[in-house]
Amino acid sequence: MFFNHRKSLQPSLTEVPAHAAGMGSVARTQDRRLYQRGRTYQKISMILTYAVLIIMALIILLPFAWLLSGSLKTIGQYYASPIQWIPNPFKWSNYVEAFTVYGFARYVLNSIFLAVWEMVASTIVSSLVAFGFARFRFPGRMVLFLIMLSTLMLPAQVLTIPLYITFKNLGWIDTFLPLMVPQLFGSAYNIFLFRQFFMGLPRELDDAARIDGCGYLRIWWYIILPQSRPVFVVVAIFAFLTSWRDAWKPLIYLNSQDMRTIPLGLLYFTNGYSSVYPQMMAATVVALAAPVLLYALGQRYIDRGIAIAEIK
Amino acid sequence: MLTLRRSNLYAAHAHQKEAGPIRRFLMKEKVAGYLFISPWIIGFLLFYLYPLLDTFYNSFTEYKLFGDPQWIGLQNYVNLFHDPTFGQTCLHMVIYVSLATIIYMVGGLGLALLLSRNFPGNHVFRIIFYLPFLMVGVAIGSMFVQVFNAEDYGLLNEILALFHIAPINWLANYDHPIIGLYALIFVNFWFTGGTMLIFIAGLKGISQTYYEAARIDGAGPWQRFWSITLPLLTPVLLFNTVITLIGHIQVFDTALIFAGQGTGSIGIGGFTSVLGYHDSWSVFLTNLFRDAFIYHNYGYGSAMAIIIFLITLVLTGVVLIIFQRFTYYESENR
Repeated sequence: MFFNHRKSLQPSLTEVPAHAAGMGSVARTQDRRLYQRGRTYQKISMILTYAVLIIMALIILLPFAWLLSGSLKTIGQYYASPIQWIPNPFKWSNYVEAFTVYGFARYVLNSIFLAVWEMVASTIVSSLVAFGFARFRFPGRMVLFLIMLSTLMLPAQVLTIPLYITFKNLGWIDTFLPLMVPQLFGSAYNIFLFRQFFMGLPRELDDAARIDGCGYLRIWWYIILPQSRPVFVVVAIFAFLTSWRDAWKPLIYLNSQDMRTIPLGLLYFTNGYSSVYPQMMAATVVALAAPVLLYALGQRYIDRGIAIAEIK
Repeated sequence: MLTLRRSNLYAAHAHQKEAGPIRRFLMKEKVAGYLFISPWIIGFLLFYLYPLLDTFYNSFTEYKLFGDPQWIGLQNYVNLFHDPTFGQTCLHMVIYVSLATIIYMVGGLGLALLLSRNFPGNHVFRIIFYLPFLMVGVAIGSMFVQVFNAEDYGLLNEILALFHIAPINWLANYDHPIIGLYALIFVNFWFTGGTMLIFIAGLKGISQTYYEAARIDGAGPWQRFWSITLPLLTPVLLFNTVITLIGHIQVFDTALIFAGQGTGSIGIGGFTSVLGYHDSWSVFLTNLFRDAFIYHNYGYGSAMAIIIFLITLVLTGVVLIIFQRFTYYESENR
């Protein structure tokens, strides 16, 4: 169905010169009308586009703005209706309370620790594995790679039960270990990104190093890594974010309050007897701020990374 | 920091000794290849294959917190079939996955089309739309619980009041608890930035000559969209559909927060509200979480896990097969 349309385009490409040359003034008039229609049409469509985009942008930003304003209110101002957008005065103590009374300082530290670990460990190991997939020939290479890709498709959460039981028997529950050890083995998504990138790197440098007697690890360190900065940034950021926003694993493996990460802290945010919405909103702002900052720093690389992953 | 220097190559060469037999074995390409990917292989076996097989085995047993698993055959699956909660979960998933995926696809494509031209401020809009995608799921959930709050201080009801519409009880609606689920779906509008980015990349890949030819032929914008953009976008569409489908089946964070109503009540009084008011937010993963980790019913939970697994598999396969017929790949010569 679609292909029929496309085929009909190609003959017309060759028809145009004859058409324009032959019909003379009629064609000119038609062209001019099309051209004029083009200008105003374009202007209107631009205005419409801007309008729609601005409306959508406002809709998207509205909850965040409200979140920010709410985080600086007292509980009384919070309940006030209609909404006061700019609280007066700014109750910064909400943030302080969130950090001290509700223990968010500890949660932030926990989250940072786990996220940095995942960022470092998973990135390094994934790049090593991807190096293997990209630059080496060995039997079963394609099969293994496809198996790895298929693991991306199926949710790992459903496989948690036996892992939980195993960790329980090992006594690892309520430690950070279940959240740190799996990262030592590489993540399929990161491996995929790395491998695609590595396959695009020229082999000449590799071969030159090999001829000079370089071991494989040295090739990885001295040759591949320096050229891979963009993809490293992308993978590092993705790894950090994956750990930062994960609620499933901490919920299952961690119990005591001290060990909680930020998602858990938000889930359990209460002082036991009354509503604490402003403080909770302050904590939410903190939780949302970190990824945004990261994204701002690495945005160029992220766009490139997504484009690379897209080209299968 | 890490720059490529010629001296690096020399440094690598400098400490060269005659390699012993072990070293020479390790330097064989095949062996080295396996060595490099060995971390992943080990991880795969430990954290994927073993749990998969074990879950499969456990699903046929009665396995609770204390005691060893005891074989009971298909009993878990039969119970699952008759479980009203799980039935509601499945219904919710059908509604949620289909609506949410459609929203993502249509919204993402629409936004991508709007942003596909180069005009000033294009980049700013892209960032704004992509921003929610980066957010912590739990934080987003708690933020939106405030937005949907049924009493006077909820943002959405305040806005409705501007239009003189009566406030709607979004989260704890007595008559129609299902509205809670629709509130959850509504939240998806904020996340269309993810698919939008991929669509933008896909749109960039369509060569402009097609459009020029069509314009010369006098094709209107709608025709151009249907006959050029859409067919050439089908690989991207397929990729996006599969990814969003899988992602939506795994929805957890936001559903959990909505169920706890964002007041931290998931902590108060235990986990009885993990599934929400009248179970209105039961999705696959929260249901699994409740049965496996709160009720500690590992056998039953394993059966549920296997079912979820199979459903994902089947759904992905169906989508892939259907789309294969319609996908046009630029690289293939027709």
